[in-house]
Amino acid sequence: MDDTGKRLAGCFQVVFPNLREAEIPSASQQTVAAWDSVAAITMMTVIEDEFALQMDLDDLADLDSFAKIHTHLQKRLQVA
Amino acid sequence: MKITEALKITQSAPANARPFCVVLACGFTPLHLQTFLSAHLQQSLPNRKVVVTPGLYGTLAEALEGTSDAAIDGIAVALEWSDLDARLDFRSAGSWGRSAAADIVANAQAMLDRLAAAISRVPSGVRVALALPTLPLPPLFHTPGWQASEHELHLESEIFGFAAGVTQSARATVINVRRLLEAPPPGPSFDLKSHLHTGLPYTTPHADKVASQLALALVPPAPKKGIISDLDDTLWNGIAGEVGPENVSWDLASHSHLHGLYQKLLASLSEHGTLVGIASKNDPRVVAQVFERKDILLRPEQVFPLEVNWNAKSGSVSRILETWNIAADSVIFVDDSPMELAEVAAVHPGIECVLFPKNDYVAGLAVLRQLRDACGKERVSSDDALRLESIRQGAAFRVRAAAAATPESFLALAEAIVTFDFGCAAEPRVLELVNKTNQFNLNGRRYTEADWRSLTSQPDPIVVSVSYEDKFGPLGTIAVVAGAVHGKRLVIETWVMSCRAFARRIEQQTLKMLFESTGAEEIDFDFVPTTKNGPLQEFFAAVTGDQPTAEFRLRRAQFDESCPDLYHAVRELRRAEAHG
Repeated sequence: MDDTGKRLAGCFQVVFPNLREAEIPSASQQTVAAWDSVAAITMMTVIEDEFALQMDLDDLADLDSFAKIHTHLQKRLQVA
Repeated sequence: MKITEALKITQSAPANARPFCVVLACGFTPLHLQTFLSAHLQQSLPNRKVVVTPGLYGTLAEALEGTSDAAIDGIAVALEWSDLDARLDFRSAGSWGRSAAADIVANAQAMLDRLAAAISRVPSGVRVALALPTLPLPPLFHTPGWQASEHELHLESEIFGFAAGVTQSARATVINVRRLLEAPPPGPSFDLKSHLHTGLPYTTPHADKVASQLALALVPPAPKKGIISDLDDTLWNGIAGEVGPENVSWDLASHSHLHGLYQKLLASLSEHGTLVGIASKNDPRVVAQVFERKDILLRPEQVFPLEVNWNAKSGSVSRILETWNIAADSVIFVDDSPMELAEVAAVHPGIECVLFPKNDYVAGLAVLRQLRDACGKERVSSDDALRLESIRQGAAFRVRAAAAATPESFLALAEAIVTFDFGCAAEPRVLELVNKTNQFNLNGRRYTEADWRSLTSQPDPIVVSVSYEDKFGPLGTIAVVAGAVHGKRLVIETWVMSCRAFARRIEQQTLKMLFESTGAEEIDFDFVPTTKNGPLQEFFAAVTGDQPTAEFRLRRAQFDESCPDLYHAVRELRRAEAHG
């Protein structure tokens, strides 16, 4: 996993403390029961803290898995 | 605080600890406000498991009304304009038409009356922290934004009237919104996009600010008990020994009014029960001449003791602490010299050292606020007004006791009166004394108002406060005992006594009264030795002939054997009411 993925995994550990490390890369709103709308917004804010960037609430609905968020962040960080 | 840190703090709560339950009442989706409030409370209560629950019902008023019979420790209320009328909510489709403004004001009045009534029904002992609206009003009034409209001002007036009412009745602690909005980091409080998309109207930093202040109001830190101040270039401008006592200044004309403000603050704190002492390297005669000046704003009778000499200030601080009989961590030391601050800090590691910022008005204002924040009190009791005088009296007591033919004859002639009040459980001073006393404290346990209510409402409770006076003057309420009677056995869970009251045999008189008034043949003490309760440990060693290291039992015969002669007149108050 690249550095962005490792840092994102750290964000997942903070928001979903009961999620095992091995489960994080495949985590999605379908597989994680605790991933509700509140957790999704919390995740966005934790990612903003970690990566020092502004997330757009319009993207919230699309960013429903670790993989999608990872890809989104890679693009954002490349642009930056 | 960042949200990541907040989540980590809440997750670090001890799993099996006693819960501290708070209802968060707000009319919007609490989201980060809830997370930050949990985190700030958890930081203040590391041995508890903080549980913050959003109000169960839709509106803020309903959430508050739903708490009247709930078993909770506190309620945090984040009031916003939208709670007063839906049309003040950006998410509402309600009209902003011509007739709306007057109707909104009328609705707001009714809603605030409803909130005040709901707050008045919250069980006593449950703390209520109230944040008044922090967000801007929507642009619905007919005036341009730079002009305050009549209706907007009416709304503000209603809000302040409501807040003054709940504060006056001591039913809620109201957050100072101006201070909250000034707090760093600077930035907007309102996030329209978040409000419309998620229901949370606060920016993340603003949610943290509101949460931190609500947490402070729910679990306020113990106020500092005393301030020790330097004189030259601190209490006044100039070196008195060099320019002469008549030429040091603290006034506008001399551009030294910052020192005058500092004097006024110390005088005000002294009147409200904060001890003020002086540690200065100076000539005592010169200092006395300055304090004789008619224009001095901190009057000499508001200061005790004055340690004015040419020796190290840490020594002066030691003597002041000894006179006050309090620990260094309860005190702030103010000086304009970083070197003096460092010297005192090295000898008294717990003391809070504050640099007086000469000629820096921004830093000066910050220091004035810092001192008020550290020493400020929610309520001022009659005992607070007595404190300095009783310390002075205590010093006179010790001097005369030392000079008396025998300590016994001195106590016999002191004309002491000890008053036991058996109906005091709900008095704020009682819990305040329990929570701030260290040296004569049975186990060092601190109580929230809800904990205290629970302790004092157990079956067959006994809660007694002790007041003392003698021919040197009154000490006010100086001790509290709380526990329960189980037949011929009394279990004491809390016993504290102010250090001002040591060496007067009040502790023995208290035990005697407890044995006699309850008919107990033995007392179980829920004793825990702490690093600070050495004086109580010594007392127990003298009474039992042993050094208890944990909870223990004292038999009445054992106490009678060890009890010295007691010379106090004894009064009992409210006994009939307390025992039904």
